[in-house]
Formats: sequence, structure tokens, C-alpha cells
Amino acid sequence: MNRETITVIKVRDVLLVTMPADPDDATISALQEKTLEAMEQHEVKGLILDLSKVDTLDSYFARTVTETGKMVGLMGGETIIAGMRPAVAITATQLGLNLGITQTALSVDEGLNLIGRNWRGFHK
Amino acid sequence: MSEATKGSRSRAAKGTSSKETSSEMLRLLVDNLKDYAITMLDPKGTVTSWSPAAERLKGYRSNEIIGKHFSTFYTPEDSASGKTERELEIAAREGRFEDEGWRIRKDGSKFWANVIITALRDESGKVIGFGKVTRDLSERKQAEEQIRQQSREILEMATVPVVQVWEGILLVPLIGVLDSERSQQLMERLLERITETGSPVALVDITGVPAIDTKTAQHLVETVKAVRFVGADVVLTGVRPAIAQTLVHLGIDLSTVTTRSSLSAGLRVAFAMMDLHVGAAQAVAH
Repeated sequence: MNRETITVIKVRDVLLVTMPADPDDATISALQEKTLEAMEQHEVKGLILDLSKVDTLDSYFARTVTETGKMVGLMGGETIIAGMRPAVAITATQLGLNLGITQTALSVDEGLNLIGRNWRGFHK
Repeated sequence: MSEATKGSRSRAAKGTSSKETSSEMLRLLVDNLKDYAITMLDPKGTVTSWSPAAERLKGYRSNEIIGKHFSTFYTPEDSASGKTERELEIAAREGRFEDEGWRIRKDGSKFWANVIITALRDESGKVIGFGKVTRDLSERKQAEEQIRQQSREILEMATVPVVQVWEGILLVPLIGVLDSERSQQLMERLLERITETGSPVALVDITGVPAIDTKTAQHLVETVKAVRFVGADVVLTGVRPAIAQTLVHLGIDLSTVTTRSSLSAGLRVAFAMMDLHVGAAQAVAH
């Protein structure tokens, strides 16, 4: 089986979670497990969910992203979605994806800036 | 050709019947017309006469094409769909058939043709054949295509102009009615430009939008949402008193969107979002 999988990397005090281009349902449910597991293992400010490779989004994926963001929030971390493509953003709007407290960034790089800023309390 | 001319002249001079002379002159006209390829078809559509202009246009010599069906000039799809039979049928019924479309030359190349088929009847009214006039309008077609393409591009630019006003700040000055189609274009183009330029802030200025209704507002809210998904934010500027009143009266909730009355105020918000500070420069002499 040659399925593209999620990678979870801890960089300093941030988790970088990268989604494959076309994740299937199993991959999507693995996103939540892996992320929460990593949150428990490492002491981090939060996570950056890199969606720059993703080119399709369905309601299950959208819901999982929202839920995971909330769960990570409950565990004391912030979630930043980075690199969502225009086409995916339009689909997300049509699906009524609600980000709640989850923030977004144009790229992982920008996301890292954002996490740093928020943590130091510059914003809010 | 010159021989024919000479012949007709000498015959005319000898006082041959006027009918013969006029038919000869007609043939000369047909042969010398440059842009009009005139051909004759029998009632079934078989080519019975060919002209130099037709040869120039379509590439066949008269001995190659006389006796062949005129569907030879049509695309395989057209002749398979029975277009040629339909055309003759209409010409026979109504006296005349006109069409514009792609036709094929001998070498297989296409040209855009205007075709007029006229039914020719004998004294009893029986169709004895068809006259077919073909004009090559490829150049006109090409010019039209070009104009259409250009106007499409201009229209797209004018519909949703996206301008980078500062490093990381885009401006969309909207002028005119914002309908569903335009809102869709706005969303697509703005998202595209935001990701292309890596701009975290977009100013959408609605000073030039005459009115906002529930639907327009809904579109704007959706656009702002989509922009946030890609990791940027929108400041909606140009909210005039009339628009503010309408929005409140219609009960449209724009509380999730940063709005300002003027573009300059919006620009200041954008600068703040980017952690940029604008201040008067200290006088050099100071």
C-alpha cells in the first residue's frame, strides 16, 4: 500500500503537520489522532497545519480540521492553517467551513511568525 | 482567358445573338471574380461547373472536382450529420440558403466561409440545379476573434481590478453593480492574486458600488471568509452613509468584517495589520 501520509514534525515549540495532496478518509481521521498524540507528547505553543499540497476538500475533511482546532485549543495550543489554495478556500466557503478560533496564514513561514506574535501577546 | 475574351469580342462584333453574348459575359464575370467562388451544382449536389476563383479558394482544379459531391468541402462532422442535404433542401424549398462556417480546402486546411446556395429552376418550376457562391471570410473571422479576446481581457480587468498598493497590501476598487457573476469573479481573482503576491491584506473598496442588497452583502461576506481561509484578511472600505443605512435596515451582519468609511482609513488599518507605521518624517534641518 502506497498511501501518502500525514507528517507531524516538531520544530522548536511548534508542531508542523503536513497533509498530503488528496487525503482519504483514513488519512483524515489519522490527522486528529496523530495531532492530539503529538500535542500530549511535546510541550508546544500550538500547531501549523500545512494544507499547501491539498487540492480537494470535502465536508468530512473540513469538519475534522475544525474539530481538531478546537481540541488542540482545549489542550492549550493554538492552531494555524497555512497555505490553503484558492480553489480549496472557495470549496471551504461553499461547504460552510467555520474556523472558529483557528487562525490562517498564507504560508508555513507566515504561520510561524503569527504563532510567535500571538504567544508574546502582541495581538490581543 | 484572354482567348475567351477575344473570342467573345469577335463574336459580339459579328453580331451573334445577344443571348449568347450575355451568357458569355456572365461566364467571364464568374471566372474573373476574385473573392466570390461561384460553382454550379446539379439537383443532387454534384459539382457541375467550377471557376478559377473557386480553384484559388479551395485548391481543386476543375477536372478534380467536377462530378464530385459538394460535401467534399465540408468538415467530416458536417457531412456526416447530413448538413449538405439539409442545405439543398432549404434552398430548394425557400429558393435560397445562407450559412457561415468552417469549410475544408483540398490540402485539408480550414477556412471560414460565407456560403449562399440559390436554387435554379426551369420554366416549369422544377429545380434543375443550384448556384453556390462561397466567400472566404477567414480574415474577418480572425479579426473578430481577436477583438472578442481583447474585449474579454479588458472586461475582466475592469470587472475586478486588483492592484498592489503596498508590499503585502492589495486594493480592489469596485465600480458598478456587484451581481452574482461579478462577485464570483471577485472571489476567484482576489484569492488568486493574494496567493500569487503573498499579500496578507486586501482592501475591497465599494465607494463606486451604487447599492448593496442582501445578496451582494452575502457574496462579500463569503469572499471575506474565503480570503481568511487562504490566510489573509479583508478590509472593506467605502461604506458610505447610505450603504451603512441599507446594511443595518436589511439586518445584514457584517460584524465579522473590518469596515471603514474611507479608503484612507482602511489603508491605515491595513498598515496596522502589517505592523507598519506611518508618520511625518522629521525635518532634515531639525
